[in-house]
Amino acid sequence: MVTTVIRAERLTTKYEKFTVFSELSTSIKKGQITTIIGPNGCGKSTLLKTISRILKQQSGEVFLQEQDMKGISTKAIAKQLALLSQNPEAPLQLKVEELISYGRFPHRKNVGTLSSKDMEVIEWAMDITKTTAFRNREIAQLSGGQRQKVWLAMALAQETSILLLDEPTTYLDLAHQLEVLQIVERLNKEHHCTIVMVLHDINHAARFSDELIAMKNGEIITAGPPEKIIAKNVLKEVFNIDARIMVDPENGSPVCFGYDALPERE
Amino acid sequence: MHKQNRSRFFITMSALIGAILFAIYIHITNGTFDMSVKDIFTTLLRMNPTNDFDLVIFEFRLPRIVIAALVGLGLGIAGTVVQGITRNGLADPGILGINAGAGASIVIFMFFFQMELAVSGSSNWLSIIIMPIFGFLGGLIAAILIYIFSWTNGKLDTQRLILSGIAISTGFGALSLYISLKMRESDFEMATVWMSGSIYNANWIFILAMIPWLLILVPIIYRKAYLLDYFQLEESSIKSLGIQVEKEKAILLLSSIGVISACVSVSGSIGFIGLIAPHIAKQLVGIHHRYVLPASAAIGMFLVIFSDYLAKTIFAPAEIPVGIIVAILGVPYFLYLLMKTKA
Repeated sequence: MVTTVIRAERLTTKYEKFTVFSELSTSIKKGQITTIIGPNGCGKSTLLKTISRILKQQSGEVFLQEQDMKGISTKAIAKQLALLSQNPEAPLQLKVEELISYGRFPHRKNVGTLSSKDMEVIEWAMDITKTTAFRNREIAQLSGGQRQKVWLAMALAQETSILLLDEPTTYLDLAHQLEVLQIVERLNKEHHCTIVMVLHDINHAARFSDELIAMKNGEIITAGPPEKIIAKNVLKEVFNIDARIMVDPENGSPVCFGYDALPERE
Repeated sequence: MHKQNRSRFFITMSALIGAILFAIYIHITNGTFDMSVKDIFTTLLRMNPTNDFDLVIFEFRLPRIVIAALVGLGLGIAGTVVQGITRNGLADPGILGINAGAGASIVIFMFFFQMELAVSGSSNWLSIIIMPIFGFLGGLIAAILIYIFSWTNGKLDTQRLILSGIAISTGFGALSLYISLKMRESDFEMATVWMSGSIYNANWIFILAMIPWLLILVPIIYRKAYLLDYFQLEESSIKSLGIQVEKEKAILLLSSIGVISACVSVSGSIGFIGLIAPHIAKQLVGIHHRYVLPASAAIGMFLVIFSDYLAKTIFAPAEIPVGIIVAILGVPYFLYLLMKTKA
């Protein structure tokens, strides 16, 4: 049976006076990969940040495993839910392994030393993300793709059952995009991680997700499996494009292989 | 990996302690009244003490050195914290207006109360004990104002923090100047000398007034120092790790304000130490704040003791406020840092 791990109810989030979305409700199913898609500025990152308590909502509730997140300490949340943010930054002289070890923060009691359990999880995170080879390098010496994998490893070191990724493939070349998404897929399949991410590439979204949430102007237009969402009428409504869609004969997921912009509608 | 860092830290610290001892040595032996090391040791160990030596060492030079050391330590620590919190290497307690706030409040205190207290004689030491508290209030008011102006969307905007700090610093500076102009001539001179940062009127009561602040706040800061490492990440990542960012920042910032106020109340505004010491410390021991903090404290100590030595000897018998010496040494380094960040 599929259960809900995160449930947002009537969420309203604002930046200063600008309301990004209001009274938004949605839910995330356990053990699935859910991807939020939509045009720039539609509120998808804001939704991700709100359900991960990075941004405080104006009103409404977020339930984590049916518990109101307001009532859970931020450290306890960090043991269940990790977020890889959109533009992560770290001091350039920081060593890769140390940055990854930061992910152990919510589990650590002693600030001075890492326990053997901590070390074990860090090794595991580096192994899965294939970052072990440059563990002793400084962040400054890494390429964009390597950095993204290191950040992913830090999120993994948090050892959470839920992983939120805000545009994890932006600024990466094609091969690295795929590599990151395959790591995410492996985490989901082998480690039963629930994944929620924001992606711009709808073909990647279709290929790697169980569930899509399509947003526009702060509203959820529709949600469901990729076959249902990657459709002419939905893409027209959400992105205002006339898309040509076929099914990838290799893996059976819908693919948008070409599109034209539609004239602006009011 | 960690071992390497640690040995680097211990080597650096030993060298710094050596430098501090050297600075103390030249400071205590030199002056209008030169003494040999042997004189100093015999006096300190109470072997055939003479009144002259006692007076010079215990009443003039030693309190001055101790205060220089404590002020340097406090400013080095506070500077590290402020730079760590704002993620800005050019931030410094002075730039943030905390010095100016504490300073203005102490000038007000001098203006209204100290003369009265000083007149009643015996309660003079009381006023010295109260001064840091006043300084803290002023620093706190400055900090609250800065918080109000730089608080957006439920968090501290560090960019605005620095801008509003500069504005508030200027405002409080003007206030201090205005009040000091209203003072009697003799008080005015005292206030001006104090404001430009000087410690030559040091005595043991100042030290007594300062020590409790440092004893309480420095351990708090040191315990939280490891968080400064995490604060070098960007906001969402820190929050995602389960760190109560705003709360921890407030604790660290308030503790630093306390330390700064204690320093300002005894020495006036000595700028640049809080800026330079953390930078030098990071060059020496790397980026881990558990190491940077003590190193920066030691560098601050050395710089203030050494600058005070220069302040009392360069134009002897005339004294220059130590703050001016520090500024003369500090400005070029500050400009150098600016050039480097640009490149």
